[in-house]
Amino acid sequence: MIKKFLFIYLFLGISVVVCQNKQLLYNWEVTPQTLLLNPGSIVSGRFHAGVPLGSGFHFNVGSSGVSVFDVFADDGVDINTKITNTISRLSSRDFFTVNQQLDVINFGWLSKGFDPMYFSGGMYQELDVIAYFPKDIALLAWEGNRNYIGKAFDFNHISARADLLTVYHFGVNKQVSKKLTAGVRFKLYSSMVSVSSTRNKGAFKTTLRPGSVNIYEHTVTDLDAEVKTSGFISLDGLEQSQVSKKLLGRALLGGNLGIGFDAGMTYQFDKQLSLTASVLDLGAIFHTKDTERYKASGDYTLDGIELIFPELENDQSTIPYYDNLEDDIVREIPVDTLNTGYTQLRPTKINAALHYNFGRFVGDKGGCNCKNNGTIQKRVSQAGFQYYSIFRPRGLQMAGTLYYTRSFGNTLSIKTTYTLDRYSAKNIGAGMFLNIAGVNLFLAADNLLQMSNLAKANSVSLQIGLNYILN
Amino acid sequence: METNIFKLFFLLTYTLLCVSCFEDTDFNQANELVVRPEIELDLIYFNLEASKFYDYTNNTEILVIKDTTDLDFLGGNDITDILKGADFFFEFTNSIPRGFNVSFDFLNQADVSKYLMQTTVASGNQDAPVVSYFVQSLDEPQIKELTKAKKVLVTVTIPSSSQDLSGVLNLQSKTTYYLQIE
Repeated sequence: MIKKFLFIYLFLGISVVVCQNKQLLYNWEVTPQTLLLNPGSIVSGRFHAGVPLGSGFHFNVGSSGVSVFDVFADDGVDINTKITNTISRLSSRDFFTVNQQLDVINFGWLSKGFDPMYFSGGMYQELDVIAYFPKDIALLAWEGNRNYIGKAFDFNHISARADLLTVYHFGVNKQVSKKLTAGVRFKLYSSMVSVSSTRNKGAFKTTLRPGSVNIYEHTVTDLDAEVKTSGFISLDGLEQSQVSKKLLGRALLGGNLGIGFDAGMTYQFDKQLSLTASVLDLGAIFHTKDTERYKASGDYTLDGIELIFPELENDQSTIPYYDNLEDDIVREIPVDTLNTGYTQLRPTKINAALHYNFGRFVGDKGGCNCKNNGTIQKRVSQAGFQYYSIFRPRGLQMAGTLYYTRSFGNTLSIKTTYTLDRYSAKNIGAGMFLNIAGVNLFLAADNLLQMSNLAKANSVSLQIGLNYILN
Repeated sequence: METNIFKLFFLLTYTLLCVSCFEDTDFNQANELVVRPEIELDLIYFNLEASKFYDYTNNTEILVIKDTTDLDFLGGNDITDILKGADFFFEFTNSIPRGFNVSFDFLNQADVSKYLMQTTVASGNQDAPVVSYFVQSLDEPQIKELTKAKKVLVTVTIPSSSQDLSGVLNLQSKTTYYLQIE
């Protein structure tokens, strides 16, 4: 069990995370997926429809402090030594993440008339996993307490969350004025399964006497830990086909539901300089059915078993010391199983960016894009700075991106990015967008410098999609 | 023109996928993964008054006293597979002016001895209690026998006693468990 636990945290996790940052797609106006990142983006098309299940796929795995290479490098060093070094180097603020999104349906259209607006909607499936490295618990499991007498192993280091859900969304985008375009998107979440354990408290410590009745005192102090699950109980004991059927039902609004919204805007200072910003997934899921929560709390000090050598009659049993000890532990640190509901906030994201357009006009048709009510016509080049942040269980995670976008007519557009965050200073990404007769295909990937050996990468992300856009 | 761009797009995509790989790694190393935690855990303790060794009702010596406790965790299948060694550490502090023989007999559910430890405790006095140590290290074959046990019988033997004998025999103990999970 311990080995499995370590394996999950050290190896599967290692192969991943940074976040849900989609810096390559943000404000890349040519993709419909841009509207999912900023409902207030400037839309140049009249209609778009994604290929069902193929309009957008995003996958990101990463780790903030360790790469696959750190542990599995074929360097002659014993793997157990490398793991010991890795545990030593990582902190409880390092984390592993997996994020995957699949657009099931994606569509949008320009509503003409007196007050033109662009409506868009669809449905996507999302898997989002984040697990902070439980340093103290990993240390205890890997080495034991022998070399750590007096050290408090903090249960707060356990912080993880995993969600599998579908999101139904519908948004509206409107050019409010010549300078301002704004949009909002309403979301309905349907959770398929969810598990989380965050905000745990308490510590385990082994201390040497004096003052103790035995050699050590093993203490659990101020323990308050909880694991919340939703959607798992009813899957227990089912066949694989039944599980799939149940999950499909939940995907189709049969799960625990939640609501949220996105909002965004684009402000054009002049013909070349603009500002965009968005807030995404401001909402919550209300887990009201099929929930199970395991909660442990209390304090306990273990000194071993005290023998009192009672005077016993013939055949009289001695005191059940061990059973009494187990009863004491259960009484002092009860583990309650609850079926009450709970509310879980979605991981809200914030994007903001400053963009500068330059070069000749795309298509070189003049200065007005008359299809879009007089908005500034796009130039072939755009450069700028993007800010991204996401609210995670241990606070805000942030990233900054410098980018350059180049359009080659209306057929090809490329975007390159340099992203800097706390974990990587060499993340170069690139994306290509191909548009032939309205059918467009995009592909974007991160960490290109590590592409020759992904084992050394701290994170890898890939986005691909196929859409039809009518301009 | 569009055909060429289309070709370029897929050429770049193909190149990207071809160059991306895991190099200089050996995932078979996972088979060599061994978790070796070393756990320090209190075992048993007691404070035996000298009066325990005399029957004041019948005015007779009590030369042997015993007590037993289950140690269920020792006998589990899970622990048998992963426990590779153990160091038992016993510290006696004796202020009774008698020496003692103390035994720790690890018994299975049918009260059959699976492993026996024995030691002597030096005589002490109330003004200057005497400390005695006993350490027993068990290797893997020995620990295999120990883990067949479910309980420990502690026997304390005093050579002689009297009604005016005074003092306390104190025991504190711990075990270091060496686990190996592969």
